[in-house]
Amino acid sequence: MKKNLLIVLLGIGLIIYASTVIASRNTIYYYTTSETLEIEISNEERIKLGGFVLQDSITKDGEFTLFTITDGNKDIDIVFDGFVPELFQENMGVILDGVFDDDLFLADDMLVKHDNEYVSSDGETYNVENYSE
Amino acid sequence: MMLYGPLLVWIAVASLGPYDVTQGMSSKLLYVHVPTVWVAYLGYSLTFLYSVLYFFTKKEKYDSLAVANAMSGVIFTIVTLLSGSYWGKLTWGTWWVWGDARLNLTAILLLVYLGYIASRQFNKDLAKTAKNSSIIGIFGIIQIPILHFSVIWWRSVHQQASILSQETVASGDAPMSSDILVTLLVSVLLVTLVHVFLTKRFRISNDISWADYLNPQSRAKI
Repeated sequence: MKKNLLIVLLGIGLIIYASTVIASRNTIYYYTTSETLEIEISNEERIKLGGFVLQDSITKDGEFTLFTITDGNKDIDIVFDGFVPELFQENMGVILDGVFDDDLFLADDMLVKHDNEYVSSDGETYNVENYSE
Repeated sequence: MMLYGPLLVWIAVASLGPYDVTQGMSSKLLYVHVPTVWVAYLGYSLTFLYSVLYFFTKKEKYDSLAVANAMSGVIFTIVTLLSGSYWGKLTWGTWWVWGDARLNLTAILLLVYLGYIASRQFNKDLAKTAKNSSIIGIFGIIQIPILHFSVIWWRSVHQQASILSQETVASGDAPMSSDILVTLLVSVLLVTLVHVFLTKRFRISNDISWADYLNPQSRAKI
């Protein structure tokens, strides 16, 4: 009985310890546009870049989609050739996979990051001001 | 019959309910994805509670209840993964994001509780089996707070919580139109009812196993 209890407590401790270690590593899946200013990224290095699509920035050039993403601080121009998800539009959060070509970011994979807001069609909306992101 | 009532009403509510104007029809998956994962959490929390009670009291009814809740939890975790994956395909543009903590942790959650159910077969002696699986039932609960905070700790694709977030709890104002919110909460209630009737059904078969174990002669006579 005592031995079993010890195993349980040890197991619980181990899982809590492991998860705090993982959590404290500040694991990120993508960089924001401002963060690319602070870190060295070579032109060959493949990274994931996230931001919001700037209003009136989307243009089509053959099979390429050109647009600009921002985090409100730093804008980056994107050249995208890949599958464009249906929800892709202005002001939408996107995560792009690709490489820098100096100031341009060449991407071939896109995820649309939908936020946690749900607004129905009957015109009834909640007060947006409290939610900055 | 009690089981199919709330199930059918839930399907009707989800398919007829309002949807988000940006996402379109696919946002109706909210009424499947969110209630099922919440009820899975509920099931695993009850598994934890009954596992603790069984571990200390060794009363077989607690073991039956722990297993029944885990089985129902597994079903709802599968539904949440399938609906989430399909929703991801429709909105994000992919079925699965391997780098996303919440997605991976939910898959691990499913594996752990599948392991819990599998552990029922490890030993022919039901009392020993029940003691072993109660330890897994106690361990397993730690995943739920990690899963809940995963969208805050790890920056990734999965959106932040709409209802169970600090802002919503503090302000009492969810970032949803009220008709969507009401439909969601009704769905949660209905799925909870489905869970209750489902666990009732699973519990009966667990009670029969215990009756056979505790009193093998009664079975032999029949």
